[in-house]
Amino acid sequence: MAAGARRSFALSIFVALAVVVGLAVTAVHAADTPRRGGILLAVIGADPPSLDPHQESTFATLQLVAPLYSTLLQTDPYDYPKVIGDAASEWKISPDALTYTFKIRQGIKFHDGSPLTAADVKATYDKLLFPPAGTRSVRKNSYSAVTSVEAPDAGTVVFKLKFPSASLLLNLASPWNVIYPKKYLDKDPNYFMKHVMGSGPFKFKSYTPGASFEGERNPDYFVKDRPYLNGYKFFISTETSVRAAAIRSGRAYIEFRDLPNAEVEAITKQLGDKVAVQHTPMTGQWGIAINNMAKPFTDERVRKALTLGLDRYTMGRVLFPLASLKDVGALLRPGTEFSLPEADLQKLPGFGKDIEKNRAEAKRLLAEAGYPNGFKVVLKNRNVKLPYQDFAVFAVQEWRKIGIEAEQRPLETAAWFADGRDTGNFELIVAPTVEASDDPDTFLRRYTTGDPQNWGRFSDPGVDDLFSRQSRALDPAERRKAILQLQKTVLEHAYYMPGLWWTRNVVHWTKVKNYVAPPNHYANQKLQDVWLSED
Amino acid sequence: MGTYVAKRLLLIVPTLIGAAALVFVIMRVIPGDVALLIFGGEAGGQIDAKQLADMRQRLGLDQPLLVQFGTWLWGILRFDFGNSLWTGRPVIEELLIRLPLSLELAIAATIVSVLIAIPLGMLAAIRQDTWVDYLVRVVSIGGLAIPSFWVGILCILMLVIFFGWGPPLEFTPPWIDPWANFQMMIWPVVTVGYRYAAVTTRMTRSTLLEVLREDYIRTAWAKGLRERAVVVRHALKNSMLPVITLVGTEFAFLIGGLVVTETVFTLNGVGRFVVDAVAHRDYPVVQALIFLIAFGFVVVNLLVDLTYAWFDPRIRYR
Amino acid sequence: MATNIELAHASASATLAPRRSFAEVAARFVRTKPLGAAGAVIILGMLFLAVFAQILAPYDPYVGDYGLQFARPSAEHWFGTDEFGRDVLSRIMYGARIALFVGFFASFIGCTIGALLGVVSAYWGGRVDLLLERLMDILLAFPQLILALAIASILGPAVQNVVIAISIPVIPRVARVVRAAALSVKENVYVEAVQALGASRRRVILQHIIPNVTAPYIIMLTAQLGAAILAEAALSYLGLGAAEPTPSWGLMLSGSAPSYAEKAPWIALFPGIAISLGVFGFNLFGDSLRDALDPKLRKG
Repeated sequence: MAAGARRSFALSIFVALAVVVGLAVTAVHAADTPRRGGILLAVIGADPPSLDPHQESTFATLQLVAPLYSTLLQTDPYDYPKVIGDAASEWKISPDALTYTFKIRQGIKFHDGSPLTAADVKATYDKLLFPPAGTRSVRKNSYSAVTSVEAPDAGTVVFKLKFPSASLLLNLASPWNVIYPKKYLDKDPNYFMKHVMGSGPFKFKSYTPGASFEGERNPDYFVKDRPYLNGYKFFISTETSVRAAAIRSGRAYIEFRDLPNAEVEAITKQLGDKVAVQHTPMTGQWGIAINNMAKPFTDERVRKALTLGLDRYTMGRVLFPLASLKDVGALLRPGTEFSLPEADLQKLPGFGKDIEKNRAEAKRLLAEAGYPNGFKVVLKNRNVKLPYQDFAVFAVQEWRKIGIEAEQRPLETAAWFADGRDTGNFELIVAPTVEASDDPDTFLRRYTTGDPQNWGRFSDPGVDDLFSRQSRALDPAERRKAILQLQKTVLEHAYYMPGLWWTRNVVHWTKVKNYVAPPNHYANQKLQDVWLSED
Repeated sequence: MGTYVAKRLLLIVPTLIGAAALVFVIMRVIPGDVALLIFGGEAGGQIDAKQLADMRQRLGLDQPLLVQFGTWLWGILRFDFGNSLWTGRPVIEELLIRLPLSLELAIAATIVSVLIAIPLGMLAAIRQDTWVDYLVRVVSIGGLAIPSFWVGILCILMLVIFFGWGPPLEFTPPWIDPWANFQMMIWPVVTVGYRYAAVTTRMTRSTLLEVLREDYIRTAWAKGLRERAVVVRHALKNSMLPVITLVGTEFAFLIGGLVVTETVFTLNGVGRFVVDAVAHRDYPVVQALIFLIAFGFVVVNLLVDLTYAWFDPRIRYR
Repeated sequence: MATNIELAHASASATLAPRRSFAEVAARFVRTKPLGAAGAVIILGMLFLAVFAQILAPYDPYVGDYGLQFARPSAEHWFGTDEFGRDVLSRIMYGARIALFVGFFASFIGCTIGALLGVVSAYWGGRVDLLLERLMDILLAFPQLILALAIASILGPAVQNVVIAISIPVIPRVARVVRAAALSVKENVYVEAVQALGASRRRVILQHIIPNVTAPYIIMLTAQLGAAILAEAALSYLGLGAAEPTPSWGLMLSGSAPSYAEKAPWIALFPGIAISLGVFGFNLFGDSLRDALDPKLRKG
């Protein structure tokens, strides 16, 4: 990836991140000398199914164990999404972009005292890219360009590609791809579901399922004088109001995912300047998948009517204070390098600002398709309160205005995945897209034919072609053109209905220093630079 | 007595097998599939059919249902409930982590409820149809009417809004730090205890009322005994059996009935474990838990029946 | 959660209540059981709200006014508005419908099936009795809420499924009590006499056993009604009850209402009072009814 492209990318998201960067600057500079010691107490809203981030896709796993591991690359804790090294100190990309060579830092030790070498990195990526039987690798499709990973010597790792992959570097900085020691993987590839052995700034201390998770300072961490904290402890509580109360009463200092604005208001009212709020955009979008195989949604006019009926601009105003859903955008986060420009967006069905005109058009299309009096439909959803429920309630209310009577049916997580992703047993279903970065490959793969994440089950050869073109394009301008075209195609045909882009409130006591919230709750969770100004 | 005990013990077996079968069937009918769920998560995840099939096989879900059931039953006999499909740890291990909390909560709540209920119930019975009786009944029926999750939420919110105080977030066993334990458990114990006191108060009142109308009590009155002597020495003693029975049965139910309270107060106990396990389609965990709760209930019931039979020989010959 | 032992205890003797005209019974009930009468008034009030919700409710309970979110209680909105600007009072009025619907049907279905099984079990006796009793034992061994939870997650969240989920655990509890009552009737001298005179099985059941198990049946019905309304609220809280935007009381309490407890306490306060008052009414009435129908507890 050319350095120029990266610079322009950074520039284009500067506006979006201004708040965060501002906070970072205060955090870094106003904070005289970092103080050592103390235990960071945090609350988290879910219990992890296992401790192996390679096999999981929930923040519950990642936030708990991220401080215990190193990754090959990482996004800069102070400057998302700039990619910097972690276990790798430097890297080179061949001119044809088919060979990536990484130099592994010397002197990194796992917590059992053994050194981290290229062999461990290779073993880790072999497990991720070519999962052995009985293990899973939920993000392996992101690395479909890679043919092999080699370790010619203890300090070098080489990735060989069959075609160029513009997204590879960002994907190698994924916080999920923690490095495991080879000897444990050789014994049992599922060892890390229940055990921890990493080389991160903290060492594993204790884990009580459903209750708490603790890590303690790693005195042999390869970054000098880090970490500052003596340890960290997560308390697990699935109840939002209980987590908020824990922060208010000082039982915990930070919640890393998101607290709704009502709670944030109450907390800041009570604690004043003892707490700080970092409000950031999110690499996540809440939308609705339409079953393109089921009647009447095989008819493009019906799909268009549905999306025209959603007043996204009012939705943002109403839902932001309730559920942190805010910005209107297409399929990539508004304000980022590859997002659809505002002017183009407003020409697409459902994104125009004149809602009365949209509703009239929706009614006309419905009548044309043979539903002059609307119809009844079931909107399936996940039974998670925020932001799923509020989002669906708004959509249901909106559709009443164009004569469509939607019944919301919240399902338990298991049934929701089964109906939405696996069997396609639904008419409409709330289907968000939340990822660890803004990477277009990760976000757009789901609109291609036959992708397991293509809940709407549509197939458009044009979209497939645009996807593989953008994925391999080395010239950012060419890539951008394909990506914009892809987004327009999906939205023009209303294959899928984006709703709003998510934001988050990270609330913490001001005594927690040096934590800069990136635009998702996966990155920057190593806590190596975080310190407490008092206990 | 011996044959009666044997007969009762024998009857337990089909009940337990039936309970096991019912749990097993319920868990298989629930839509959704743990293999799929394991791949899920907020970010979705990219999986293919082969990975899915591998996972099913690893979890033993590809076996015929009867084989799965047989394996499970055989496991129970060896006190092996298998591993949680969700976390991979043995079910027993997971259960033992959570059991002390639920047991403490259930025992403490039962004690609280008895302490409240017996004096109140007595008072209401002695003063039947006076304002005292009405007040006691209103308070106790109120305890049954208010949703416990609502009380719990209000309780937590009041404490934090008015005092900026919240209970500890992690369970500490009472023998390690009694004060921390007390701070955490007091609110749920009071919430649950009040609720169960309502049931016990009504029971105490009605059995006591019945006994008070018996001939021998009338005789006691006629003998000119003081009210306290009549109630405490004669009536209360004789009305306690059904109350103790009730407390016993309630206790068996309590463990399973803590679902809502544990969720509200985010206590990492058995009740919440069941809810989470149902949501995760974690068959072995749900099966084991419901089975064990049913088992506990059956055992307590048996003990209650045997106690009754011991006291009242007529029952043995029915 | 009325327990079976408690009820069995009370109703074993309830069958012997002599018959009187309805007006007489009602008048006596009000005089001797003022608490029960208060309960009846609450129930009637709830029924009134439920039946006339359409006329009484000042606003559409489903559609919010986006300009009026979190409005305090005022002359326009007596109980304020919620996070979507929906009128809380109107939602409570429509909510009474759902509460009564769930409460009545769940306890009616559960009690009726339970009572039928109880009568069959008692009357036929022998193997039928043994089999049914074991079946009831199995069902009884499951904690009520957990069984409802499992059933609700099989059926999926919808009001009618909640009814089924709540009614099933009621069956064994009622069957027990009714069986005991029916047994005591069956062994009565006059039933034996009627049978000896050649009355058909159907006639014995219809004319002698059914009327005599009516009292415990009604007692169980009222007791379970309140419990069913609470169970619906608990299931809603656990995410397995009715779905938004249905104006269910339980749902109005759970959801995100606790998050707005400080900003707009009325969102959670009024539905909470509605549930408590409703259940309180049924329990109060049921309790007094039991006292009234149970001759042993009657004074003088």
